[in-house]
Amino acid sequence: MTSIAAEERAQRRLRVWDLPTRLFHWCLVGLVSFALVTGLVAPKWWVGPHILAGYGIAILLAFRAVWAFYGPEYSRLSSFAFGPKQALAHLRGLVRLSGRHYTGHNPSGAMMIFALFGFLCLLVATGFLVQGGFEKQGPLAGFLTFAVGNDARYVHKALALLLIGLIALHLAGVLVGSRLMNEHLIMPMITGWKAGVPTADPRPARPLAALLWLALLAAAVGAIVPQLASRPALGLPDMPPNAVMLAECGACHAPFHPSLLPRASWAILMAGLSDHFGEDASLPAAKRDEIAAYLSRYAAEAWDTKAAHRFAAVAPENPISITATPGWRRFHARLDPALFRSHAVGTPGNCTACHKDAGTGRFDPQAIAIPEG
Amino acid sequence: MTRGFLLALLILLAAAPVRANPARDAILAAFATQAKRDDPAFAGFSADRGKALWQANHSGGKPETPSCATCHTKDPTAAGQTRAGKTIAPMAVSMTPDRFTDPEKVAKWFARNCNNVLGRACSAAEKGDIITYLSGQ
Repeated sequence: MTSIAAEERAQRRLRVWDLPTRLFHWCLVGLVSFALVTGLVAPKWWVGPHILAGYGIAILLAFRAVWAFYGPEYSRLSSFAFGPKQALAHLRGLVRLSGRHYTGHNPSGAMMIFALFGFLCLLVATGFLVQGGFEKQGPLAGFLTFAVGNDARYVHKALALLLIGLIALHLAGVLVGSRLMNEHLIMPMITGWKAGVPTADPRPARPLAALLWLALLAAAVGAIVPQLASRPALGLPDMPPNAVMLAECGACHAPFHPSLLPRASWAILMAGLSDHFGEDASLPAAKRDEIAAYLSRYAAEAWDTKAAHRFAAVAPENPISITATPGWRRFHARLDPALFRSHAVGTPGNCTACHKDAGTGRFDPQAIAIPEG
Repeated sequence: MTRGFLLALLILLAAAPVRANPARDAILAAFATQAKRDDPAFAGFSADRGKALWQANHSGGKPETPSCATCHTKDPTAAGQTRAGKTIAPMAVSMTPDRFTDPEKVAKWFARNCNNVLGRACSAAEKGDIITYLSGQ
């Protein structure tokens, strides 16, 4: 190993980080920050832009994976394919201020890259699981149960929180490393210029090969995704509209989707129409029976949606009230109670006041629009 | 010119009588027959009695709905709102011309709402009074 002094003598300003790698890095910074804020802090209806950020991150990761093989010297995986042992040795050297200098990624930086890359891949994957299983949307909706999507939510969130830790470690590593190595590490990622020893035979970028691979990848995704997405979502039965139900229930309130209560609850509700939430809502027997049969057939048990699962656990003391379910209370706990008494909403049971898709039973966060005033 | 036309239109509108409708007349006639049977002294429906019944607060029904006006508002030409938040088209025939023309609907809502507000069924005379009142609004 050359001495530090000798290395410093041989150092020159080199264009270490190529433009695509730098663009990748800062786009990733932007999209990951955006995804973290929209996923963890912003109101739930930001899930649409959050998903778009996830798609963007997936594209960036795909690009970087290809660029790891066809990029210029220092972007290539083989130029920073260090193992944990080398990373430990590098860290030890850093602390003793005696380690060697790396022109490209150093071994501990490489570990961080692998960790970030791996976490982001897992976040994208679990994001698709949530989108498909929990929201019943996207390419995997036809394959995933609610249970899978719901579990994936917890994994997705845990990974996101761990990612914040990794990012903090990454920033600390850059700052502390810059200090210990007496070398600015942030500016090179902006300008591309970094101190280093030129490699004897630096490999040039092969942008055409990279483009070809990316095009192949895009073609594969373009061929597979519509195929997957064409499959109807799992656990969403074909429910023909029932004119009697829509007219009779809809006379006083926006008709509730049959999936929002379990069979037993609908049975109790339809048997007690003469005192229906404090009002006489009696119906002729024929109409009542038709509506009761329809509600029973398409009750929560027939659906694998989040609303059907959430509201299936009814309040024992009031099994016919959706707004009395523990699930409903939990989802709306953070809202100002005055909102439910406002002129635009009037009563907590007026789902459609905010959930524009309540009639479909989907309750997509993107369909939430809380009325003003 | 335009002002003259508008004025003529206004006078015409104001002078327009309660619009007769064969279906509504038939429903009223059936209530009149029943009212006569209930009370031989029955001498026709009264918009004033209907108005009093509509505006009053009653105590026999469900506590949430002491009056017709609870949901329909005191002004029959205005839109009302159900307790569940849905808008109810005005009950006044001038505003909603097809009011009281469907016997099934008339029977259903009088049965429900008399029970809600009064805690009992309405008599044929009361129903006829209400329809007469709202037909003139």
